[in-house]
Amino acid sequence: MRIPLALAFGIFAIGLVLSAFLSDYNLRLLNLSVIAAVAVIGLNFAFGYAGLISLSHAAFVGMGAYGVAILTTKFGWLPWLAVPVAIGITVVFSALIGFPLLRLRGHYLALATLGLNVAFYIVATNWIELTGGTNGIARIPELSFLGYPLADERSFLWFGLGVLGVLAAGASLIHRSRYGRAMMAVRDDEIASEMTGINTTVVKIAAFALAAGCAAVAGCLFAFHVRFVAPEDFNYAHSITYLAMLIVGGEGSIVGAILGAIVLTFLPEWLRFLGTAYLAFFGLLMLGILIFLPTGIVGLGRFLPWRRPKRPAAILGVRSTEVSS
Amino acid sequence: MADFIQLFINGLAIGSVYALAAIGFIIVYSATGVVNFAAGQFVMFGTFAGVAALMNFGMPWPVGYAVSLAAMAVFGALFFLLIYLPLRKSAVLTIIIGTVAIGITMQNAAQLTFGSWPFRLPSPLEGIMVDIGGAVIAAHALAVVVVTGVMIALLWLLFYRTSVGIGMRAVAQDVQAARLMGLNVNRLLALSWILAAVLAGVAGLMLGPMWFADVSMGDPIALKAFAATIIGGFGSLPGAIAGGLFVGLTEVLGASYISSAYKDLIAFGIMILFLLVRPQGVFGERIQDRG
Repeated sequence: MRIPLALAFGIFAIGLVLSAFLSDYNLRLLNLSVIAAVAVIGLNFAFGYAGLISLSHAAFVGMGAYGVAILTTKFGWLPWLAVPVAIGITVVFSALIGFPLLRLRGHYLALATLGLNVAFYIVATNWIELTGGTNGIARIPELSFLGYPLADERSFLWFGLGVLGVLAAGASLIHRSRYGRAMMAVRDDEIASEMTGINTTVVKIAAFALAAGCAAVAGCLFAFHVRFVAPEDFNYAHSITYLAMLIVGGEGSIVGAILGAIVLTFLPEWLRFLGTAYLAFFGLLMLGILIFLPTGIVGLGRFLPWRRPKRPAAILGVRSTEVSS
Repeated sequence: MADFIQLFINGLAIGSVYALAAIGFIIVYSATGVVNFAAGQFVMFGTFAGVAALMNFGMPWPVGYAVSLAAMAVFGALFFLLIYLPLRKSAVLTIIIGTVAIGITMQNAAQLTFGSWPFRLPSPLEGIMVDIGGAVIAAHALAVVVVTGVMIALLWLLFYRTSVGIGMRAVAQDVQAARLMGLNVNRLLALSWILAAVLAGVAGLMLGPMWFADVSMGDPIALKAFAATIIGGFGSLPGAIAGGLFVGLTEVLGASYISSAYKDLIAFGIMILFLLVRPQGVFGERIQDRG
């Protein structure tokens, strides 16, 4: 219980300090990275723990965002009423689609979920009566929390950090519970975990639905932050970005998920001096991380002085089973 | 009827391009196990190699085509050396993300070199029309179908009648056994990448006159090639051909007879249906073999 609480508190404290002196523009980026971090923590359930290669994460973020946008603007619902319904719809949909889809493995699952994301994009672009097509949906009402409207970047950041802290703590609890261990067992050896009495189908669908639920939370945050949704934000390229965030940060690690989301959101800013060549450099940098830092940024933690293992073999052994997929 | 013939042949032409892209993708996948998400960017590079050779340097047709394909072969070899070799021991997803990353770099490099304005790559058969059963068809579309047929025949000869091709199939089947038989595995793997790049180059050169040569053309082609391989069967060359033609035909026929907005949804809907009901595709390997 101590580590999840410390994690949530740490996230909040660091964010609070940062929010004191960052400019409005950087606060906006920090908000976007907090939203991405919520989504990537979700993806960590599906990919990091259960080993399901999901390339439809952006579609689930989009379902959450569109759910909130449609319910508040077309049906005039209150934001706080729309949020649970949008998340619920996404979770139920992901479980229903996961039931047949998760029989697939490896790159078959990757391509099937990619197809799902492409299908979502096509429907969101062309179902104009419901989604507004490429024009998207504007004028989403602002969210207020306990009577305070979250109108500016700073107050939204505090709220977002709260959500991220709660989710990170929850994810950390699940990681430590028998359910988290069941997911990792399914990832490491499906047949062996079935032999020990784990219902692998249920575990995989649960991991997938948990991932979709976090994605929907991120989508709701996105809709209330940007207050405009359009299909382009939930294109399959964003699914790949979420996976890239998880891999850059360090798969199977909650801290890694958050770090990856922050680094990849701020990277375009840090590389602005490259101008139009930014993407070329970004691709090469990603490749470099994959080749030279296969356990992601959290893999660097091994080099910290207080993490230097006393008995290298045993401790590294544990790490490597946690990180490898 | 004339309309249908015209649409059918245009669908076959587009489908041929998808089929070639899918074949390149499959050759790499069976030999190396790499799911190459940059496959679409390979085709885009092929088109722009043509733009550079034929338009920027003004080479005559045969020379320009030869130079573009040679450039693609060099590119395939470089890809093998710089991307595949360092990543080959990584997990499936790491390699997928790696090819995505290099795809982003490729697209950006093309944009830096050629700008984001689309080019119109001419065809040697520019403006020639053929009359078939009352339908007027661009000679280029017919040529694309014929060239694809010839390429497939050549590939068949390579894989079944030459020692190099048989070696490549042996490597695809079992790398360890192939090495024990004394085959130079690395050279054959490199050859698979080169072959894939050259096929993508052919696809790109033929696609240029049908679409506009645009640096962002890679992603839609990759998605269609993926759909083609799933429908035809992952790892199967006849499957890639059948799947590519099928996707091209549904795209063109679906756009005019069903709905132009949802034309892509038809192909992807069928792809997802195949994954759910028959994941090994029409001609594919049994899925348990590769799980």
